[in-house]
Amino acid sequence: MVLKSMSDLKGIVAGKPRKKLVLAAAQDQHSLSAVLRAWKDETIEPILIGDKEIIQNICAENGYDISGLRIIHESSTEIAVEMAVKMLSTKQADILMKGKVGTSTLLKSVLNKEWGLRTGNLLSHIALFEVDTYHKLIAVTDVAMNIAPNLKDKIAIVNNSVALLLRLGYVMPKVAVLGAVEMVNENMEATLDAALLSKMNQRDQIRDCIIDGPLAFDNAVSLESAKFKGIKSEVAGDTDLLLMPDIEVGNVLYKSLVFFAKAKVASIILGAQVPIVLTSRSDSEQAKYDSILLAAAASK
Amino acid sequence: MVERVLSLHKKHRIAVAWAQDTHTLSAIHKAVNCGFAEAILIGHSPEIKNVCRKTGIDHELFSLVDSEDEASSASEAVRLARIGDADIVMKGLVGTDKFLKAVMDKNDGLMLPEAVLSYVCALEIPAYHKLLFITDPAVIPFPNLNQKIAMADYAIEMTERFGINRPKIALIGASEKLSRHFKSSSDYPKMCKMSRDGRIRNCIMDGPLDIFLACDKKSVEIKGINTPVNGDSDILLFPSLESCNPFYKGLMLFAQGELAGIIRGTSKPVVVMSRSESEKSKFYCIALSCLMA
Repeated sequence: MVLKSMSDLKGIVAGKPRKKLVLAAAQDQHSLSAVLRAWKDETIEPILIGDKEIIQNICAENGYDISGLRIIHESSTEIAVEMAVKMLSTKQADILMKGKVGTSTLLKSVLNKEWGLRTGNLLSHIALFEVDTYHKLIAVTDVAMNIAPNLKDKIAIVNNSVALLLRLGYVMPKVAVLGAVEMVNENMEATLDAALLSKMNQRDQIRDCIIDGPLAFDNAVSLESAKFKGIKSEVAGDTDLLLMPDIEVGNVLYKSLVFFAKAKVASIILGAQVPIVLTSRSDSEQAKYDSILLAAAASK
Repeated sequence: MVERVLSLHKKHRIAVAWAQDTHTLSAIHKAVNCGFAEAILIGHSPEIKNVCRKTGIDHELFSLVDSEDEASSASEAVRLARIGDADIVMKGLVGTDKFLKAVMDKNDGLMLPEAVLSYVCALEIPAYHKLLFITDPAVIPFPNLNQKIAMADYAIEMTERFGINRPKIALIGASEKLSRHFKSSSDYPKMCKMSRDGRIRNCIMDGPLDIFLACDKKSVEIKGINTPVNGDSDILLFPSLESCNPFYKGLMLFAQGELAGIIRGTSKPVVVMSRSESEKSKFYCIALSCLMA
């Protein structure tokens, strides 16, 4: 199965028991509105940890009905985050979401050696895009977490991402390793890594997916472009997952798809014991909601 | 852009290397019909005539020059430009590497002394309120400071031809924050200083900025960033070919973008397009080269 649109995630979520989402430092209007929307339509069961008075004020000001919602009061942001993480590591909840707290503070807790959510895997970011002009959802990694991944990191990022896609119902997802060109070029490390990843995949060192690369963006998403260039590839034009050479490339692409191509996007952090929703201020409410939906669909 | 070219009331002579390609011929034909170009087609004449016939184009509109193979057609196009018989050189069906080799030849090419060879594109995107100029999606993989300065100058020069005075240039990064992790962004503060000093002329420059801050006023307001570019960029300068290339391809495929681009750093405009680009984009490239000639 492949996902055609964000609403396909709803179908996956509907077939599973309702997941508990902990919003750490919940006194944040943008996150709250998305969480409450996901609560009302029964996507998740939220638990809010944070400054209760501020939370109640925000909800009163915006007319959010929070009767019956579980709120744990903690005015210190750091302690609120620690409590949230511990709640997840003791299996009392399924999804972690960042509220009004810096990303570095949250990740420090997630990576805490005693009570954090480490698995031994690298943490990586994945974003699912819905674009009118592509025939299915396309996942892009890593546009937000790993700055300049080396080959080892890229393998870990592919493994994290493929595991997610399998959980969403994909069989042998198609992975395109992005380069600026489709030829291996000894001056561009990304193209060398791409060749290595493709070969490792052929030799079953990276499993459960079909990897090809380097592919330039047009070859990865357009069969016509690939044919024009005479590229023979199972992945070309039908990519499920696009692996970025580094965060600069990924970030530019992410933001241009959102801004210029009006793409819908859902993104989560992978590699911890639970999916983490870590959206930024500049993400729309819809993007936050869709990210919660993705986390619920990804949750074990 | 096409109107601007027409308003110049000038015809430019374009030498096309290895011209027997349907898309290229259709685009050239359109430019000739519009009245801003004359074409010298270099290649296998019977084959060119054949393609013309199939596409319904009258080959009498063009001058034909016979040539043995791809490489010699490229050298011939460059030679015509050097002796002044052509104003613009364009790549037809010849491979990019062979074509650029002729352009870059130390003795018989078109390189300006000491010049940086780079690529500038004009993009038309429905979701953006004006043309967006980008550099470099095709030539310099990882530009150093000098190369970035040259890229900025070329892009500024191009916007001036479009009548834009003091264009706003965003130096693109993953974030507006300076970080030692981003090697390529460390040149940006130096460039901003140089633009204030006038060493990069006549522009409003800021960076690093991410795509949102460069192109979206609302994002600038939400984040409360003080930037003279203010979400209203004319030019985006990218840290690498790796980031610029998927940017423009993404916009072409997913955001209905159309582009026109040419090579800078040469004595005459050089048009190089990917074989897979649309006829429309090829036509725009020709119009742009006439504007820059």
